[in-house]
Amino acid sequence: MANKVTVIGTGNFGSTVAFILAMRGSCHEVVLRGRNIDVAKGKALDMSQAANAAREHTVVRAATGPEDIAGSKIVVITAGAPRTPGMSRDDLLIKNAEIVKMYSLEIKEHAPNAIVVVVSNPLDVMTYVVHKYTGFARERILGMAGILDAARMAHFIYEKLGYGAGQIRATVMGGHGDTMVPLPKFTTVAGVPIDDLLDSEEIGEIVKKTRNGGAQIVNLLGDGSAYYAPAKSTSVMVEAILRDTKQIHSCAVMLKGEYGYSDMVSGVPVMIGNDGAEQVIEMTLKTLQRTRFKNSVASVQEMVDILYGNGFFDDCKEKKVGKK
Amino acid sequence: MKSRKVGIVGAGAVGATAAYTLAMMGTCHEIVLFDIAEGVAKGKAIDMAQASYYSAQGTIITAAEDASDIKDCDIVVVTAGVPRKGDMTRADLLMINAKITKQVVENIKENSPDAIILCVSNPLDVMTYVTKQITGWDNNRIIGLAGALDGSRMAYQIQKLTGYASNQTGSLVIGDHGENMIPLPQKVSVGDIPLTELVSKQDMEGIIERTKFGGAEIVKHLGTSGYYGPGRAIAHMVEAILNDSKAIVSCCTILDGEYGYKDVAVGVPIVLGANGVEKIIELELDKETKEKFDVSVNSIQDGINILKENNFFS
Repeated sequence: MANKVTVIGTGNFGSTVAFILAMRGSCHEVVLRGRNIDVAKGKALDMSQAANAAREHTVVRAATGPEDIAGSKIVVITAGAPRTPGMSRDDLLIKNAEIVKMYSLEIKEHAPNAIVVVVSNPLDVMTYVVHKYTGFARERILGMAGILDAARMAHFIYEKLGYGAGQIRATVMGGHGDTMVPLPKFTTVAGVPIDDLLDSEEIGEIVKKTRNGGAQIVNLLGDGSAYYAPAKSTSVMVEAILRDTKQIHSCAVMLKGEYGYSDMVSGVPVMIGNDGAEQVIEMTLKTLQRTRFKNSVASVQEMVDILYGNGFFDDCKEKKVGKK
Repeated sequence: MKSRKVGIVGAGAVGATAAYTLAMMGTCHEIVLFDIAEGVAKGKAIDMAQASYYSAQGTIITAAEDASDIKDCDIVVVTAGVPRKGDMTRADLLMINAKITKQVVENIKENSPDAIILCVSNPLDVMTYVTKQITGWDNNRIIGLAGALDGSRMAYQIQKLTGYASNQTGSLVIGDHGENMIPLPQKVSVGDIPLTELVSKQDMEGIIERTKFGGAEIVKHLGTSGYYGPGRAIAHMVEAILNDSKAIVSCCTILDGEYGYKDVAVGVPIVLGANGVEKIIELELDKETKEKFDVSVNSIQDGINILKENNFFS
């Protein structure tokens, strides 16, 4: 199979993912699929030329129609609408679900063997939507969440410590963003547990900063949200799949009884390889973390229920398996 | 569970350096080393597996207990073979190495039936041909290491002469991987400037001569053949195949009418991708180069004929 990755959405996020892949020569072909074909073409040309400057073999192309995603090993969905004034949270949820549904059907038809990496927000819910509308096995659908939250947490740990940048391994689970479940027990600096280096108050402060990490950047930028760390985190997943690294990363996947939940998406540690999320890893959680995880799942469930309540899944062949 | 896996037959200096380079680059998930000297493969595999803690992706390196453990590999690199010793004739060496290659390749055929084979054993072009005959596989799945190494040696000579960064230098070498190889410095450029603009015709001749004796020069100092250059060049080819990068690399390949030859293996530029040799590039050769190419092919043909006369293929 050709070494091809499609990125849906040509905004800052999707473009940066494509650019990272091209600069690292991670795959031979990147296809940019966006609504505005000229923008996709312009960015594709610019990136292909950059790849030559970098002496890399990656070619970036624009899709002119859905059939151009055929043969992709991986499709990254970054598409989504921004929240505009007057729009309720539910309106935005349904609007993004509609966009993700459309692309899910497109992937199912034109790239039926692809692995899907979802980054559209609200992440866990959109990953759920991709499941329902592609009908793909759960290994083949991964939401990008934990890697980004962990990277943000690592950054704030470094800020506090003043050393260890690049050596900090943070672990988070649960939903992306507000309801993430940080796991200080599994967070180390070059192997040294974080609670040997910081007290619980300091760790609490770091967790709070991490939860607020996305919003902090939105406020500073004024127009739009972060995309460098999100795109890098996404490329880590794409490379782990293409290179079959079998690395463990926290990703949003459909749970099938793990951690006591079914038919619900949440962030858990998974082993990533050629086949996608090849294994879901169940960690032993302490009571506090289990409660937090439960709250996190409940908040995702609430949004999924809003979609069900609005008849969003009425035309869906994959039926609800019952909820916890 | 599928895994990106490379088998390396022969854990001598070249095979081991190729394995180590691949592990440090994080090119594949798993490497299996096989050597008839089992302890060597095992010891090196453990050492590398521990080194890979600091590598790009924590590649797993294991030693094969048996040739049949070279199983389900995407690529198998064959470095097995003996060096020429004092009283050995060229024909003796050919027969010995052809027999080793045959045994190794029959195992690969059985245990890694979908692999691409990268031949490194010498005499390279003849062993590549032997591999083709024994497997009966499509030509695209049999590739020999030649120009990737000789080209890097040529780039080194150009760097020494000009002082410009060698990784900006083209590296075109065709023909056999032996004394009749054809370095083509006149066709390459350094940082986009044709080499012809940078060095004199006399210097060009010097580059060609020194490239041809690039391997021998190392033997002279070291008492044995080089292995860093070969190891890295192998990794370059493996990476191009696994990443499907469609890179143009000079390699030994079976010709089927290209350059006017059939049923012979010789070094020419090819496109390396997921399917191995995806395209053979036919260079326009001037009269002088064409004559050199004919001499080179004939020397390979002589080697093949020795094997035929000794009923190797029957």
